[in-house]
Amino acid sequence: MTLLARDPRAPFALTPTVLPLERRVRGYDWILIAAALALALIGAVLVWAATRQAGGNPQGFLYRHLFNVLVAGALLVATSRLDARLLRLFGPVAYVASLIGLLAVFVVGSTVNGAHAWIRLGGGFELQPSEFMKLGMIVGMAVLFARRERDDAPPTTLDVLMAIGLVAVPLALVMLQPDLGSAMVLGAAAFGVLVAAGVRARWTIGLLALAVLGAVLAVKGGLLADYQLARFSSFMHPGHDVQGAAYNVTQAHIAIANGGLFGTGLFHGPQTSGGFVPEQQTDFVFSVAGEEFGLIGGSAVIALFAVLCWRGLRIARGADTAGRLVAVGVVCWIAFQAFQNIGMNLGLTPVTGLPLPFVSYGGSSMFAQGLAIGLLQAVRRRAVAAA
Amino acid sequence: MVSRRRPERAKRRLAVIAVLIVSMVATLAGRLYYVQLLDPNKPVQTAGRLHDGTIVVPAPRGQIVDSRGRPLVDNTSAQVLTVNRETLQGLPDHGTSVLSRLAALLGTTTAALAKEITPCSPTVPAPCWTGEPYQPVPIASNASTAVTLAVSEHRERYPGVALQTVTLPRYPGGTLAAHVLGYTGAVNADDKKKNAALTDSDTIGRTGLEAQYDAALRGIDGQQVVRLNPQGSAVSAGADVPAQQGDTLVTSIDANVQRLAEQSLAKQIADSRAKGKPATSGSVVVMDPNTGRVIAAASYPSYDPQLFVGGISSSNYAALTSPTANDPLLSRAIAGQYAPGSTFKLITSSSAVMHQEISLSGTYACPGSLAIDGRVKTNFESESFGYPISLQDALGYSCDTFFYAPAANEFYADQSRITAGQKPNEYLQKMASAYGVGLAPGLDVPAAEQAAGGYADRDTRLARWKANRAQYCADAKHGFPQVADRAQRSYLTQLASENCTDGWRYRAGDNADMSIGQGETTVSPLQLAVAYSALVNGGRIWEPRLGWAIVNGAGKVVSTINPKLRNRVPVSQSVLNYIADSLSFSRGWAVSGAFAYLNSPYRNQIGGKTGTAEVFGHQDTSWLATWGPVSKDAHGATRARFVIVGMVEQAGTGATAAGPMLKRIWDGLFGVGGPAVVPGTRPATVLPKIAPQVQVSR
Repeated sequence: MTLLARDPRAPFALTPTVLPLERRVRGYDWILIAAALALALIGAVLVWAATRQAGGNPQGFLYRHLFNVLVAGALLVATSRLDARLLRLFGPVAYVASLIGLLAVFVVGSTVNGAHAWIRLGGGFELQPSEFMKLGMIVGMAVLFARRERDDAPPTTLDVLMAIGLVAVPLALVMLQPDLGSAMVLGAAAFGVLVAAGVRARWTIGLLALAVLGAVLAVKGGLLADYQLARFSSFMHPGHDVQGAAYNVTQAHIAIANGGLFGTGLFHGPQTSGGFVPEQQTDFVFSVAGEEFGLIGGSAVIALFAVLCWRGLRIARGADTAGRLVAVGVVCWIAFQAFQNIGMNLGLTPVTGLPLPFVSYGGSSMFAQGLAIGLLQAVRRRAVAAA
Repeated sequence: MVSRRRPERAKRRLAVIAVLIVSMVATLAGRLYYVQLLDPNKPVQTAGRLHDGTIVVPAPRGQIVDSRGRPLVDNTSAQVLTVNRETLQGLPDHGTSVLSRLAALLGTTTAALAKEITPCSPTVPAPCWTGEPYQPVPIASNASTAVTLAVSEHRERYPGVALQTVTLPRYPGGTLAAHVLGYTGAVNADDKKKNAALTDSDTIGRTGLEAQYDAALRGIDGQQVVRLNPQGSAVSAGADVPAQQGDTLVTSIDANVQRLAEQSLAKQIADSRAKGKPATSGSVVVMDPNTGRVIAAASYPSYDPQLFVGGISSSNYAALTSPTANDPLLSRAIAGQYAPGSTFKLITSSSAVMHQEISLSGTYACPGSLAIDGRVKTNFESESFGYPISLQDALGYSCDTFFYAPAANEFYADQSRITAGQKPNEYLQKMASAYGVGLAPGLDVPAAEQAAGGYADRDTRLARWKANRAQYCADAKHGFPQVADRAQRSYLTQLASENCTDGWRYRAGDNADMSIGQGETTVSPLQLAVAYSALVNGGRIWEPRLGWAIVNGAGKVVSTINPKLRNRVPVSQSVLNYIADSLSFSRGWAVSGAFAYLNSPYRNQIGGKTGTAEVFGHQDTSWLATWGPVSKDAHGATRARFVIVGMVEQAGTGATAAGPMLKRIWDGLFGVGGPAVVPGTRPATVLPKIAPQVQVSR
C-alpha cells in the first residue's frame, strides 16, 4: 500500500489510511471547504425557515438537506483523494456517464415545473442528471484541451471544434428537456473553460455573439416553451401579471426589500413564514436570507461565494493545464449559477429554474457540487504534491 | 521563453475570469444594497394581509310579465346541498364518515361524492370540481325536503355540509308563450368571450325575449367574499355583496289572449286531424294595429322552456330536435314563412287600384280558368261567375282569375318598358315591399328568429340564375343518372335544360301567381298581421314590439319600448276603406271568411280575408286574417282594435280551419259563450304597476 502511494505513476493513488494525519490532510484548501460548508449550513437554516410551516414534519426539509450535505461531504472526501493526474482516465468516463444519465431522462424521466429533467429513483429520491452533466462536461473539456501538454500555442481550430461538439451534445439535450437555466450554466462553464484554455479571442467572442443571436432567435422564433416566455416577459414587464409568472419575483422582491439592514430575524419574516414565495426552499432560497437576515445576511452569502471563487481561481493558478481548466470550469459554473439565482431573486435576471449552489434544497445539485469541490481539492493536492 | 509565455497567458486568462467574477459579485452586492436600503419605491409588505377570494352569487333573473302584470316568467327558490371540502379535510377522518352518510342520504356512493368535490387538475380527471378550491361544492341541486330536513336537523352529523337557497327561472304558465319568451341556458365559453363579465354560474337568455332583453333581465351578480390565507384556504367570511335581481320586462302579451290563442290553435289542429287532414302545425298572431304591439303569438307544436332551466338534458334535447318532433322550438308565428294565398289580395288590390289597373267602380271577368303565357290557371275548384264582378265581390268570394288579368297586363307593360330601354315598374312587387313583405319585420327578438318572407321579381330571378346556371346546365348535360325512374329522370333533365337556358326569365305567369300569394311569395304570420294592421290603422306599417317597458327593482319604469313606425303604405284611405268594407263579415255569404261567423253576435263588427295556399306536395295551408271590432274614426277611416291572423298547415281552406280557430279567439275577446278575456274588447293601454322586488334573504 505504501509503495503504491509513493509511486507517482501508480494508476490508483488513493492515499493509504495508514498515513499519518499530517500527510492525509496535506494540500487541502480548508478555506474553500469552510466557505462551501458555511453556505450549506446557512442553506440548512434558510431551508428550514422556508419549509417549517408548509405542513407535514416542520423539520422534514431541514433533515433531508442535512442528509444531502452529509452525502455531498462524503463525495467530496472521496473525490479529493483521487489523483488529479488521472483526469485523462476518468474525465471521458465522467463525461460519457453523465451524458448517459441525461439521455436516460428522455426514457424514464418525469416532469417537474415544466422541465422533463428528473429520474425517479423510488423511495422519494429523485435524480437530476443535468446537475452532474455540468461537472462531466467540464472534466471532459479539460481532458480534451490538456491532451497536448507540451503545445504552447493556443488550441487549434480542430481542438476548438471538438470542444464545441463536446458542449453541444449535452447543451442540446438539456435544452430539449427543456431546462433553460441548466443550459445557460453549461454555456457559461464551457465559455470559462474556453477562455482559460487560451482559445483565441475571435473564437470566444464569436461564440458569445452566436449565443446572443441564438437567444434572440429563440425568443422571437417561438423556440421557447410558453412558460419560459412568460417568465421572460414578466422579467421585462414586472408587475404586469402579478398573479401569474411574475408572482414569484414579486413576492421574493417584497421579502428581500423588507429585510432592511439586519433582517426580521430567523423565523420572523412574514413573507417566509407565510409561505408567500413559491419554491422558496429551492430557487428562491436567497429571499429567505434577504428577508430574515437583511443586507448583512445577504451580503454574507454573496461574500462566501466570492471567497469560494477566489479560492477556486487560486487553485487554478497553481495547477497544471487539466487541473486549471477543471478549476476554472467549476468556478465559472458556481459563479454563474449563483449570479443567475441571486440575480433572479433580486429582479436582475429572468427566472430560470436554478438552485443556489450549496444553499438551495436539492440532492442532485448538492451532490454534484460536493463532487466538484472534491475535485478542486484533488487538483490542489496534486499541485501541492508536485511543488 | 516558451515556458515563460505559457504561464503568462494562462494568468492573463485567469485574470479575465477573475474580473468577470468580481464584477458579478459587485453587481449582486450593489443590487442587494439598493433593493434593501436605497430603493425609494420599496414594495409594500403584504404577507400579513389575507387575500380575498370571491364566490359569485348569481343574480336572479328579472321577471317577464304580461301587459296586465301577470308573470310569464318568475323565479322559484331551490335548495342546493353544498359540501365545504376544506372543512372535511380538517376532520380526523378527512370527512369520510360525513361523505358516507351523505351518500346514503342521496343514494350515491362515497367514492362518487369524493370525486365530485375534488378540484380538477391535470391529474384529477372528470368528474371533478371545476370551481375554486375554497368554494363550497354543490352536490345536489333541488334537494328533496327529506334530504334538507335530515341535514338541517342533524347539523352535527354533517359538518361542512350546508344548504344554499338558489333562485331558478320558473314558468308559471308552463308552455304558455314559450316561443315568445324563449329559453335560457348556462353560460358557455363563447358567451364569456363575447362578454367578459359573465361567469359560469350565470344564466343567459338563448332565444326570444330572454335573449333580446338578456342584459336587462340578467341582473348583477353578487359576491360572497372569503378571506384566504397565503395557502389559499378560507379562514373567514368577508363582506357580502348581495346579488341584484334583473329588471322586470313588461310585455304587450296578454296572458289570457295568449292562452286562448294557444288553446284554440291546439284544438284546431286536433279538429283538423280528426277530419283526416295532416294539420302538422299552425300559428296565431294577435296585434294591436293602432300601437304595433303584439298581444299574442302562438305556434304549434310548442315546448316547455322549463326543460332548459339549469341546462337541458341531452335526451330532452334530442327529443325536441328529432325529425318526428316537427321543430317544436321553431316560433312559426314569427320565424315561419309560408305562401299567403288569397290573404295576399290585400296587397294585390292595393297595387291594382292605386295604379289604375282596376277601377273601384268597374266590373271584371271572373272565369273558371284563364290561359296566361300558354298555361291554364284555374280558380279554386274552378268556381266561376258568368258575369263581370266588382273588386268587392272578387275579394269577398276570393276570385283568383279576377286578379290574373291585371297582373299579366302589368307584366306585359313592364316587358314593353324593358324593350324600350326603361326600367320595369313592378308595381305589385313595390306594393308588397311597402306592406313589409321581403323585409325583416324588426320585431324585438333576435334577428335570426324572424322571417322576412319574399317574392320573385326580375332581378332576383336573374341573380339566382347567374349563381346556379352552371349547375343547371351540368345537370341538363349529364341527365340525372342517380335517379332510377325513367320518367322522373327525363322530367328533371327537361327542367334542368329549361333552367339552363331560360331560368333567368320572369314570366307573366309568375306575376299572376304572385297576385294571389302563390309562386315564390311567402310571408310570416306576423308579417301578415302587420300588413292587415295597416288596413285598419290608416296605412301605418309598424316594426312591431313584444316588449313594452323595463321596470327596475324599485318598481320604476327604466325605459319604455315603443313600436317603430316604419312607413305608410302608398294607398289612399278611401281604397283602404273600400277593401276593409268589402271584407266585412256583415256581408255574410258574400265574404268567404264570414262562413264560421254567420251566427256570431259580433259578426257585423269584424272583417277578414281567407287564404287557401297551395303547397307543392302538401295539402293546402289554411289562412285567415281578421280585424275588429271595427269603427269609423272622425275622418271616416276604418279602424279596428285587434288584428288576428291565423294559419294551419295542411288543414284545407281558410274558411274551414283558420275560420273556426280564430272564431274561438273572437268569442273570448267579445265575451261570447263565456267571460271576456280582456275587459271591454280592448288591448291594454296603460302599463301595469310592478311591485318593487323583495330581496330574497339567504
